[in-house]
Amino acid sequence: MSTSTSGDSTRTTGGSRLPTLIFMAWRNIWRNPARSGLTVAALAGSLVLLLLYLGLVAGMTRQMVDHATDLALGHMQLHRQAFVDDQDLYATLPWNTLKELETAFPDLSMAPRLYASALASAGDASNGVLIKAVDPQREPRVTRLLEEVREGTSDLGPAPPTDAGLPRHHVLIGAQLARNMNITPGAELILVTQAADASIGNALYQVAGVLKPIDPAFDRQGVLMSIAAFQSLMVMDQGFHELSFKLKDVSQLDAVQAAVAAKVQALTAAQPLDKLGGPPLLRNWRQIAPALADMISMYDGVVWVIGLIVVALAALGMVNTMIMAIHERTREFGVLRAIGMDKRWLLVMVLIEPLLLALISAVLGVVAALVLIKGLLKDGIDLSASMPDGFDMVGIVIDPLMPMQLEPMHVIYAALLVIAITMIAALLPSWRVMRVKPAESMR
Amino acid sequence: MQLLQVQGIGKRYRQGELEVRALADVELTVTEGEFAALVGPSGSGKTTLLNIIGGLDAPSEGKVLVNGKEITAMPEAVLSSFRLFELGFIFQAYNLVAVLTALENVELVMVLQGRPERERRERARHYLELVGLGKVMDRRPSALSGGQQQRVAVARALAAGPRLVLADEPTANLDSENATALLDIMYKLSKEEKTTFLFSTHDARVMERAQRIITLRDGRIESDERREQSSHARALA
Repeated sequence: MSTSTSGDSTRTTGGSRLPTLIFMAWRNIWRNPARSGLTVAALAGSLVLLLLYLGLVAGMTRQMVDHATDLALGHMQLHRQAFVDDQDLYATLPWNTLKELETAFPDLSMAPRLYASALASAGDASNGVLIKAVDPQREPRVTRLLEEVREGTSDLGPAPPTDAGLPRHHVLIGAQLARNMNITPGAELILVTQAADASIGNALYQVAGVLKPIDPAFDRQGVLMSIAAFQSLMVMDQGFHELSFKLKDVSQLDAVQAAVAAKVQALTAAQPLDKLGGPPLLRNWRQIAPALADMISMYDGVVWVIGLIVVALAALGMVNTMIMAIHERTREFGVLRAIGMDKRWLLVMVLIEPLLLALISAVLGVVAALVLIKGLLKDGIDLSASMPDGFDMVGIVIDPLMPMQLEPMHVIYAALLVIAITMIAALLPSWRVMRVKPAESMR
Repeated sequence: MQLLQVQGIGKRYRQGELEVRALADVELTVTEGEFAALVGPSGSGKTTLLNIIGGLDAPSEGKVLVNGKEITAMPEAVLSSFRLFELGFIFQAYNLVAVLTALENVELVMVLQGRPERERRERARHYLELVGLGKVMDRRPSALSGGQQQRVAVARALAAGPRLVLADEPTANLDSENATALLDIMYKLSKEEKTTFLFSTHDARVMERAQRIITLRDGRIESDERREQSSHARALA
């Protein structure tokens, strides 16, 4: 119920004006179907562009995160401080840490790793290399590293001995390294390094396969071997450098990180580590790769700024539509004011028109974007013709097939952005109806 | 009972360098139920006076009281509400809302009044039947003749239940047949509804039906003649 007062008389009224105002606004926007249609097309088109851009960036950032976590980092990593600071060969964590953590967190997948540098030679070619040692059984539970083989196999087990009867292990090498040293699967590789006991470690290996580009540094210099082969080469079996974790539910990352850190602290208290290697350090992927995390945040900001500009440009069409609509109907507004329509109700009626246009545009824009992203572009944008190996971004190699990913919240925010900008654009011309003088406008 | 009191109304406005005096010292009272005509040549101030009485324009001096309430002192929002509930307007150019049907146009003022849907729908149908548009009430103004549009405007003005209807040259755009029919309808409704009508006109047919003829010349009231009902009006009554 609403109450209307005129002079000393008071009337009680019961009907709602809003449905009629909406009805009139709806009829008004179709007075000029071509103009309204063009306005809707511009707004819906800007929303489609924004959603395509959001989908592309979301797909790319998701791919970057997936690459970072599924191929190399995992969701969390545990190191000693000295290994993080200086890649100190001796900064290891004892093997029983792995056992204790696996017992305490059965839902977490864990993979230990070891690292060293060496000199590799094959035929006349030689190259400085980075050795990464993984557990062939545990690693696949944490990363897809061993699936990323371009040529050959991912076998890291013992290789057939040499003709002279020398034992050999299989290794996988980076694609660029294979090109630089002219190595193909089956070739023999000699590694020479300084072992942990200060002796000269050297051994023969057979290249089982060549890895796809994953990480630019590993691609140029990486040699992947089993932990058993590493321990034999480096004379080093007291522990591991890195323990990578994979969670079943990434949304629980912070809680799991806190629980694992507490457990590691308890283990360290029970079995103190040597001082030189520093304390254990548990970091999540954002802490390990802050450049990646920062870039994803920056992308989010940039996408919305660009979206705002695109939608604002489209909303200029709405300004024009409202200026024309109000100019053409000044007489009618005067009549409505004369028969007793309050100017605030008049403003509401006029503002319902851009709101309806914006809502229509939002629905059409979302539907068109969904059709494009889920239909035509469901497999992503294929750049493999120009970049067969993808491209490197903050140390992460991006696939040439760029997937599109539309987040439900992005769709809602983008649609709300279109509606909000449209209403802001419409407000200024619409405000003119507040100044309509009935007698003047009906002359 | 005096429904309308116009006291010392004057209206001046600027036209370039010149100050134009549209109305000067207009004094007028209209009692409830009158069917009065405001006549005079073009530019005599008829429309300006009606606009000021209807609260559509502000006077330069003087005041207007409708039913004892001084509308010239009302804030805009209160004046708007006053127009909604107390006044009905019929314009020379019909001024219907183009996107609404005849029925919706008549309902519109009652919607703004906040009347329940059923009541306003019944009243709108009733008044459209009374003005003879029962069969075309679902048409939009563009599908109606000038005479039909003006009848819708009459139904719109009366359906809202105003005390005073202000009609500015309501027959000026109508042919003789339509004008006569419209005047008959208005006169009949004014008597049945006990609604007060004040017309501006220089149409002899309107004057023939009017009980009172107020003549304006150069913004001043030249004469104010009350008279017996015409034979035509008596026949209609």
